[in-house]
Amino acid sequence: MKRVLSILVWLVVAVVGAGALGAIAIHRGEPLNAMWFVIAALCCYLVAFRLYSAFVAAKVLALDDTRATPAERHDDGRDFVPTNKWVLFGHHFAAIAGPGPLVGPTLAAQFGYLPGTLWLIAGAAFGGCVQDFVILFCSIRRDGKSLGQMAREEVSKRGGIIAQLAVLAIIIILLGVIALVVVNALRASPWATFTISMTLPIALLLGVYLRFLRPGRVVEASVIGFALVLFAVFAGRWVAEAPSWSHVFTLSGVPLALALIVYGYIASVLPVWLLLAPRDYLISFIKAGAIFSLAAGILLVRPQVLMPPLTRFIDGTGPVFAGKIFPFCFITIACGAISGFHSLISSGTTPKMILREGQARFIGYGAMMLESFVGIMAMVAACAMTPGVYFAINSPAGIVGHTAEAAAATINGWGYPLDAQTMTHLARDVGEQTLLNRTGGAPSLAVGMAQIFSSTIGGGRLLGIWYHFAIMFEALFVLTVLDAGTRVGRFMIHEMGGRIWKPLARTSWLPAVLLCSAVIVGAWGYFLYQGVIDPLGGINSLWPLFGISNQLLAAVALVVATTILMKMGRLRWIWVTMIPMAALIIITMTASYQKIFSPNPRIGFLSGANELAAEISSGAVAAARVAETHRLMFNLRLDAAVTSVLALMILLLIIEAVVQWYGILSRREALLHESPYVRTRWAKDFSGAGRDLVVGEAIGDD
Amino acid sequence: MRKAAKRTKRFLRRFWRGLREWCGDAAYESYLRSPGARCGSCRLLSRAEFYVEQLNRRYSRPNRCC
Repeated sequence: MKRVLSILVWLVVAVVGAGALGAIAIHRGEPLNAMWFVIAALCCYLVAFRLYSAFVAAKVLALDDTRATPAERHDDGRDFVPTNKWVLFGHHFAAIAGPGPLVGPTLAAQFGYLPGTLWLIAGAAFGGCVQDFVILFCSIRRDGKSLGQMAREEVSKRGGIIAQLAVLAIIIILLGVIALVVVNALRASPWATFTISMTLPIALLLGVYLRFLRPGRVVEASVIGFALVLFAVFAGRWVAEAPSWSHVFTLSGVPLALALIVYGYIASVLPVWLLLAPRDYLISFIKAGAIFSLAAGILLVRPQVLMPPLTRFIDGTGPVFAGKIFPFCFITIACGAISGFHSLISSGTTPKMILREGQARFIGYGAMMLESFVGIMAMVAACAMTPGVYFAINSPAGIVGHTAEAAAATINGWGYPLDAQTMTHLARDVGEQTLLNRTGGAPSLAVGMAQIFSSTIGGGRLLGIWYHFAIMFEALFVLTVLDAGTRVGRFMIHEMGGRIWKPLARTSWLPAVLLCSAVIVGAWGYFLYQGVIDPLGGINSLWPLFGISNQLLAAVALVVATTILMKMGRLRWIWVTMIPMAALIIITMTASYQKIFSPNPRIGFLSGANELAAEISSGAVAAARVAETHRLMFNLRLDAAVTSVLALMILLLIIEAVVQWYGILSRREALLHESPYVRTRWAKDFSGAGRDLVVGEAIGDD
Repeated sequence: MRKAAKRTKRFLRRFWRGLREWCGDAAYESYLRSPGARCGSCRLLSRAEFYVEQLNRRYSRPNRCC
């Protein structure tokens, strides 16, 4: 009876999900309510978790709860810490959820709501969640080894080197592009710039508090920090309204980029407890609060989705970024659907803290599903504003012009009604000088979030506060990734540099610290600078590059996972990782080819550079701008070279993997580098609350 | 009524414990309970030493995604 009831309930969930998905797919005409998106996504996630992840757990991976995890075998209270599954879920989610699932769907909304929404749901269920889950499992079985180590041991030494290079490449490009998102969010915005600037002294204060006054008391420091940051958000309005102060904090792109580069360098060089860690604590609670508030706001307000399911820009002529749905929608939305970076987290801290293998499903698959849902909310927030406003905010000046009138004329010409006054009023209401040409996704997401929040609390009066709260949240979010990523990149440079000259490997030797920090900051800083001076806003060229590198890393992770499954003798279920891997390779290679060779100068780096060269030779470029144009040409060719290297790495990895797979299949036996089986001493329902408890005495609260 | 209050209290206590574990507030207590801290040859770290050591370890590997 119970089983029949369960089947019936899941049948209802599946039918409701299919109905909601069908509604958003075939609906035309009147605006659709956002609840359809929430229902469709939730039902699909529930069914995917209940059925597909259970299938992967039971048949493909055969999770074994009797096997002691690394947290049990190496429990040292430092790296290996047995942790309750809900707490670990929170840890893992906080680590994987960065600004990507917020920014990517916002940018992809230029195609309309449908392609991005479908990709977010299907990509996560069959790709991203599977990748996170399988890599977490593989790392648990190998004492928490990293993706690079697993690639080296299970694929080949060269596979390991490719994985390491891919990680470094993605870190550099990621940091450059997300720094650009912050620059575009803070550009000509004294309120936002002041608020974010204030987070630095607040973080330093918290650093000293946590180090000397109350060591490690994170909760109380976070509460103090949150109160101070909120005050900074309110104080930002006073600064923006005072002409003398407003002038100080009104910065253009280049000074902001330089400020971020200097910040990244200082954060990398200073002791981690002084600036980097307290900044991270500042955002932890704000991040969780803002994401849950956005979900609650969407449920309460139930906004109408005003963007059509498909826009005219599916033909590849989009103003936000150029390129057709395939492959660019799949490249633009990486985090939220499938993100290679997650494999670093899944093979980082999480496998060292998990209590039982069986929990890998909930943490690996489940946390990624939640991130995908964050992406759906970002899509809803972006699509809930009128399409005209969305395109006015996200289109660069090079396409829609610098003035509200020019932008309105261009966007009206595309068939999306926009009144020039609307943009002026909206900018005034949110306390900004202008919202035109604010590319990067963050400002338009902030407008969407502010409209949803202000419909719940405060109405139009608080629109400015909510907008700047959202900008603060996004910028802090990004800066946390920026400084932590710079430090990790620095450590990688130490490791690689140490192979050339040993002293460089010493992470506490000051000259090495200064040099390695300069190398990593210089690398991402260059991408940031080229994005800032790009007349098309930088996002058009850099975001696809980021997407390609991220998907490359996902392909690396899935190749490793596939190889391990083959070695485990699970050939029958190999398609679980092989299909998403093949899809990613096709997507990445197509995108790489188009970004390098497309004859459309807005898509192809080389044709873009050639067009600029032709302009110079025909005398169309003013003499004063020739040097700048040469620099733009160099940047485009550099981007083409970087894309080629990324594509080449994929090809090398495929060759490497195919050789390895042929060996496994022909010999029918392969050396699997798993840790030996050790039976758990802990009860099945051990909660992690009392480490001393053994079987039979454990608390069963999970 | 008393049962509901008891349940709420228990829930709040668990929530508080989970929150402290999630944000790292309880990391030192967890370290003190671990076998690693109690082994005979190891020197027990002070709260401040543990805090700095833990941060240095955490921020030397990828711990934040995009």
